[in-house]
Amino acid sequence: MSSVAPAAPAALGADTMVIRASGVVKSWGTTLALAGADVVVGPGVTGLLGANGSGKTTLFGLLLGLHRPDKGTIAVLGLDPTKAGPDVRARVGYSPEHHSLPPDVKAVDFVRHVAEMHGLPRREATGRASDVLWQVGLGEERVRPLGTMSTGQRQRVKLAQAIVHDPVLVLLDEPTEGLDPVQRDDMLALIRRVGHDFGIHVVLSSHVLDEVERVADAAVILHAGRVVSSGALSDLQATSTGGVVVEVAGDGAALVDAVAARGVPVQVEGARIYVTGGPEVFDLVRDELARLELPVRRLEPRRRSLEEVFLSAGLVGGQARSPEGSHG
Amino acid sequence: MAELIPGAPRARIVDRGYRAYAGPRSGGRGAVVTVWRQSVQRALGLRRSPWAKILPVVSVAISYVPAIVFIGLVALVPTDELTDIDPLPTYGEYFPFIQAAITLFVAFVGPEVLCTDRRTGMLGIYLASPLTRDTYLSAKAAATFTVLSLVTVGPPLLMLVAYMLQGVGPDGPAGVAATFARIVVAGAALSLLYTAVSMGVSALTDRKAFATAALLLLVVVSSLFMAVFIEAAELPGSLYALSLINGPFNLVQLIHGEEPLVTDLTLPAAIAGVAAWTLLGAAVCRTRYQRLQVTR
Repeated sequence: MSSVAPAAPAALGADTMVIRASGVVKSWGTTLALAGADVVVGPGVTGLLGANGSGKTTLFGLLLGLHRPDKGTIAVLGLDPTKAGPDVRARVGYSPEHHSLPPDVKAVDFVRHVAEMHGLPRREATGRASDVLWQVGLGEERVRPLGTMSTGQRQRVKLAQAIVHDPVLVLLDEPTEGLDPVQRDDMLALIRRVGHDFGIHVVLSSHVLDEVERVADAAVILHAGRVVSSGALSDLQATSTGGVVVEVAGDGAALVDAVAARGVPVQVEGARIYVTGGPEVFDLVRDELARLELPVRRLEPRRRSLEEVFLSAGLVGGQARSPEGSHG
Repeated sequence: MAELIPGAPRARIVDRGYRAYAGPRSGGRGAVVTVWRQSVQRALGLRRSPWAKILPVVSVAISYVPAIVFIGLVALVPTDELTDIDPLPTYGEYFPFIQAAITLFVAFVGPEVLCTDRRTGMLGIYLASPLTRDTYLSAKAAATFTVLSLVTVGPPLLMLVAYMLQGVGPDGPAGVAATFARIVVAGAALSLLYTAVSMGVSALTDRKAFATAALLLLVVVSSLFMAVFIEAAELPGSLYALSLINGPFNLVQLIHGEEPLVTDLTLPAAIAGVAAWTLLGAAVCRTRYQRLQVTR
């Protein structure tokens, strides 16, 4: 077996999308978890954002074929998990949200066991279990019982068991939950490695916007069981309502005055001038720059943080209330 | 450590990198075998702390002690004097000797195999593999059945082999084959029944202690209640088929062609009783697991 150099995410065949879900509805008794979610996830690292109760874990369960949607269609790696659940799960790694793992089992035995469950021969599973624990930084700790490990180490073990069988896609449910800031940074760096160096597509769920910004190529924002926004991170951050960022050589005060005189909100932070507004502010800024004959260093759509994206959509709370109430 | 090449620099590989895997995968069947093997090991305390080994080792040992005693008697007492002492128990009569060990083992194995996965969150990881809920339960049932067979099939089989070696076993190959088949069928029937019952009860809680207590109560108390009820109400003895102790142990005697302790219990009635409990346990377990939400 050859060692793999940093690679592009695995090929997907004819359909370049890793996940396609359309109009997915799922209720748990009287609780509506997903209210017609449309999800498209492409290659690379994707963040699944949403408040607690917004349907992230339910969506993972549906993607794995553990539950059937009440309505809608799902395709994971081109397969329907409701019909080909075992085939989907053979190609997908999953790290659950909970921290509880068998306390009296050694980390290496646990990871090897998961590899064997995914069909790897025993010898291969044993070798890969050790290797992957080294990869997540637990090489020296691999023979310790899981019950003696810290939360951060358990999160790494969960990541190791999710990737030990070389999946095409890995689903990480709140992988930084319970970690301190340093551990969180390490975990995010690891996830980025998994997505960009190991060639495994990653979907990580989180309610921490900053994490997704730091690690993901794209994001899907769930709210009340619906997808309210999705796409490449750069697109989400640079929506038309974000305005424009300008940086000029020399004094930009003239530009600020000119734009403000036209009644458009403008803000200065250091050398950067932020002009807020719709698509029309691009033309406005361009015209003023030309009129004032200012040399331009930067002129680009303003990138909003995901928090701004979240807040601009008026997203408060998370859980869907009822099929009727969730519309709109 | 001696240097292989004098003067060569010492080096070791500390990071082999992440490796892709393009080899064969065994799919759902391999997953079932893996879970079965791991569950058997867990129930027997293998690859676990010494404390985890005590109960299974003691239970299995107790179930073999009477067989070893009888084998010792056969080996030490001359054949012509064996008829002078109390007759050796038949294969069917053996089980009342180890009734306590079997009950204890049943109350321990099912919860250990099933409850632990829910308690430790392993169930979610198992069901995120090529396993389905049904194949997961099949693997768990097979593991429980295998472990219970250690005490339901093993001891009488040991007696058969030892008696044959001592020359006091069944007559001829046909007799040996028939006895062997009866031992396996009777032991399998016991294992099947107790597998289903222990899994049915264990499916209702993720706490091993609760499941163990409930199983002991169900097996012992329901059997005592049944006996008192039948005697007090002067009901037909065939109702003993519904007892979780009298029913299966009398079935074993009937399978071996012996007179059961409950004289008016027939083979069809005993089979029906065992089958009813088996189906009930299996139905409770499957229904419970079909409805479990496991992703968290």
